[in-house]
Amino acid sequence: MSFFFGRARARTNTTDLAKQAKDHVTKLDGPQGGAKAEELAKVLAQMKQVLQGTHEAEPNTEQIYQLVTGMIEEDLLYLLAVNLYRLPFESRKDTQVIFSYMFRFRPPTGPQKPEPFALAYVVERRPQVLVELCKGYDHKESATPAGTVLREVLKNEAAAAIILYDDGEEQGSSVRGVGGINPDRPQSGRGVFWNFFDWIDKSSFEVSADAFTTFRELITKHKELVPRYLAVNFDLFFDRYNSVLVQSNSYVTKRQSIKLLGEILLDRANYNIMTAYVDRGEHLKICMNLLRDDRKMVQYEGFHVFKVFVANPHKSVPVQKILIMNRDKLLQFLSHFLEDRTEDEQFIDEREFLIKQIRSLPSAPVAPPQR
Amino acid sequence: MADEGVANHYQVLEELGRGSFGVVYKGIDKTTGETVAIKHIDLESSEDDIQEIQQEISVLSTCASNYVTKYKASFLRGHKLWIVMEFLGGGSCLDLLKSGIFNEVQIAIICRELLFGLEYLHSEGKIHRDIKAANVLLSETGKVKLADFGVAAQLTYMKSQRNTFVGTPFWMAPEVIQQAGYDFKADIWSLGITAIELALGEPPHANLHPMKVLFHIPKNSPPRLEGKFSKEFKDFVAQCLVKDPDSRPTAKELLKHRFIRSAGKVEALQELIQRKRMTDARVDHVKHPVYYQETLHNISPKDEADEWVFDTVKSIVPRRGTVRSRKPSSGFAVEDAMRKLDLKDGPLQPNTPGTVRKSTVRRQPSSASRRRSRQNSNGSPRPSLGPKRPLQPDMSFGNSGSTMRLFRRVPSDSSNSGGLASSALEFANENQPPPAYHSPVEPNSKEAMLGRRLYKKALEPCLDELHAQTAASSKREALAKLSDAFALLDAVDPEGAYHLLRNLVSTVSQDTKLNNTFLPQQAAPSSSKTTPVAVTADGNPQGGGTVLVKSRPSTATTATTTTTLAGTPPTPISPSKLVFSQQNPHLMSHHRRRGSLLPQPVSPSSSPEREHFRGDRDRDRENREREREREREKMAAAAAAALEAAKFPGGPAVPGMEHCKALSDLLYTRWTDGLRARWGVVPR
Repeated sequence: MSFFFGRARARTNTTDLAKQAKDHVTKLDGPQGGAKAEELAKVLAQMKQVLQGTHEAEPNTEQIYQLVTGMIEEDLLYLLAVNLYRLPFESRKDTQVIFSYMFRFRPPTGPQKPEPFALAYVVERRPQVLVELCKGYDHKESATPAGTVLREVLKNEAAAAIILYDDGEEQGSSVRGVGGINPDRPQSGRGVFWNFFDWIDKSSFEVSADAFTTFRELITKHKELVPRYLAVNFDLFFDRYNSVLVQSNSYVTKRQSIKLLGEILLDRANYNIMTAYVDRGEHLKICMNLLRDDRKMVQYEGFHVFKVFVANPHKSVPVQKILIMNRDKLLQFLSHFLEDRTEDEQFIDEREFLIKQIRSLPSAPVAPPQR
Repeated sequence: MADEGVANHYQVLEELGRGSFGVVYKGIDKTTGETVAIKHIDLESSEDDIQEIQQEISVLSTCASNYVTKYKASFLRGHKLWIVMEFLGGGSCLDLLKSGIFNEVQIAIICRELLFGLEYLHSEGKIHRDIKAANVLLSETGKVKLADFGVAAQLTYMKSQRNTFVGTPFWMAPEVIQQAGYDFKADIWSLGITAIELALGEPPHANLHPMKVLFHIPKNSPPRLEGKFSKEFKDFVAQCLVKDPDSRPTAKELLKHRFIRSAGKVEALQELIQRKRMTDARVDHVKHPVYYQETLHNISPKDEADEWVFDTVKSIVPRRGTVRSRKPSSGFAVEDAMRKLDLKDGPLQPNTPGTVRKSTVRRQPSSASRRRSRQNSNGSPRPSLGPKRPLQPDMSFGNSGSTMRLFRRVPSDSSNSGGLASSALEFANENQPPPAYHSPVEPNSKEAMLGRRLYKKALEPCLDELHAQTAASSKREALAKLSDAFALLDAVDPEGAYHLLRNLVSTVSQDTKLNNTFLPQQAAPSSSKTTPVAVTADGNPQGGGTVLVKSRPSTATTATTTTTLAGTPPTPISPSKLVFSQQNPHLMSHHRRRGSLLPQPVSPSSSPEREHFRGDRDRDRENREREREREREKMAAAAAAALEAAKFPGGPAVPGMEHCKALSDLLYTRWTDGLRARWGVVPR
């Protein structure tokens, strides 16, 4: 009997939770904002407990189901994402946990859906939730919780597509759900994805580092989605990437983004992107200047991009020109380049290989053989 | 850069200590007047750690508990990352242990506070994973806080588990070592070990090698607290050290334990801090605080000639002389010097090149002659030399340690004049020293004959065989060097080789365990007169490895020594693989040391020496050669010892080398990670 009773009581509670939370969230701006924030904190803590269970009690699937559907009905995900930075410290963490559980929850019964249904709902009907989560990087309070949720969610290809193809009200933007995306239309560069460059470059260390980690996930995880995206938006992407990230004033951003550039280029899935990238003389110039950076790790990471240009058997004429013009300098430079890395066999071998390649360049550029 | 100005909010004072990641300073937050601790992390010196550091910051920044050190801010300044933390004036429990062990009352308080901290962390889905006295800090008032979240994990979901092999061996829970998946309970085990550490001054098995401990913990019954301690305390420790994580109590449950419930107030811990200050004062430890000094990196204006040329219009005239290397590098200097060196006045040029060369093929097969032959014949070694080919690449005779690569790596098929010049230099460089070592020492005593025979029949084939079996280049290099050293010894002083082995055998026989392993059926030969070589092999302070061997049980010793000699571990799962671990700090420093100490016969700096040689070459040279040989032999012996020591990187710090231990431990952890990745399970 008591078992039955407990369940009935829980049901009213969980459906209420979403409503209560919505009430409080919408009144955060009102005259009693402070009090509302406190009450909201309590509700969120309760929600978290329902989703997570406690050490004593396992979470109850039915309750969770009600809570998730309640939150979808009240559009609470969106409201929480928008207001994340205004919540108190503990509530931000609770919200993070709530999001993570929500996006992961699959109802035990019903049709076998490939995705957890809250996530499916967001991706198809309410993509703004994801966009708003990204905008969590506008505030240092919300950066970490939003970023943690995002990285979890971005493992899903559709969710990643929402962020990549967000482009306001433009035709083919993800604003009307994943179904409305037109991947062949070039991006305007005003969508939420393009904000990442500034978040990484201009934010404080903590925010920047978190944004970069998310950016890296977004760019390296999906081996079909991203190469296609990069192919269509090649110039826009690499212009921003090189001007904002690779030449950032922040040491960490600079070093990490050079490294990521190397990873992107050497990823098998990005073969076409790589060949297009290393054909450009402009890109080689940037890269050669990195070799002369006054910080060793920047030089080192730069080397791993530079080697792609030199190792390319089909060097374009502009690339050959630059290499030939600088042949003697390069040979001289490389023979002493990062000499103290004596334990790094692979590096030494690669450097040796580059020296050989540069030495055996023809005296004048030759049109590359047909691929 | 939003960060630039933030650093000015802090006044940085004296150095507090040096941690795993950087230097910690005391500082003052100028806006609040609050004392803080500021960690400076030099990101430029870390290869890949930026993300790990980020991880640590993100775990810390989401903690808000009185039992966890408070994180305040972090920002970048150039390539230094500043992390501002709460200042805790009492120091770590490990520091406090230095002035004596803790009593039960104090331990109970600390354990309770730690349990509060763990309860908080665990409820947040965080696992600390490195609970130990060194990571427990005290405030001046006795508050206890958890610190160092360098390896902490954040679980997204309460029920998830971790497999990562991290922590410090002595404090590691069995399930962490076994990697069968672990959760919060791992911290409870470490807490139990920490309690023992506080009571006894060190964790259980502290006398064992960390590697050994890793096998020991999962295999044996959990350690118990023995001695004159209360029943409650012993029981508390026993509760923490339940091997099955599922039956091990949670932090919350342990807070109800009698030992904890009866614990007193944290203020009682001030006594510990006082005691430490007294001891420090008594030791007359005049501390000179090291103050923070702003390092200004002056970047010298780049030379115009240095810049790349991207402008197509400008025609480029290759100007070798004006193109300067950006940093003055030793390699460059040496090369320059070499260029000036007239080959003819090299005193070490063989008197009769042809014959010496021929005769040296046998005795000194290792490097120069064979490499030369390969070069001359365009890369195809003579068939007879085939089997020895593996030994070819790394023989440089140590004659320019730091620039070795420069010569070795110059490709033989260089087409431009510069390349030719340098290969010619390489040629000369390689040729000079060997004949010098080859002043014909004919075996004229029984010992020398035996020594030569020993080399020819035993040492050389063994080394070649091992080298052939070894795959990793760093290992090969180490072996090649050793082989080189032996070849030289044989050429110059076969008697020395004889004495070396003789003394080795006799010292080995004196250690029962070694004796059983290596000389099972031999009676211990009486030791003969001791040559300087043997003394070094035995008592070389740099060796360090010998010390380790003594405290090691026989199984480990077997593995060590065979591998040192054998190079290739008998089975892939043998821990002895570590011998040549590339990252091994012992090994690396050894190479460096060796390189810098070795005599450099051709290097221009030895010109006074050369004058000397010219004078009375005959007698003097021989002595000199002998001396060199001894030194070389010392090096070889040290190499052997270091290789052995290298096998146990996490080992006890060699006296005077404690500062390396943190690094060594770190590398050790990485190594174990790698080990596990490669072979899955480590034998227990």
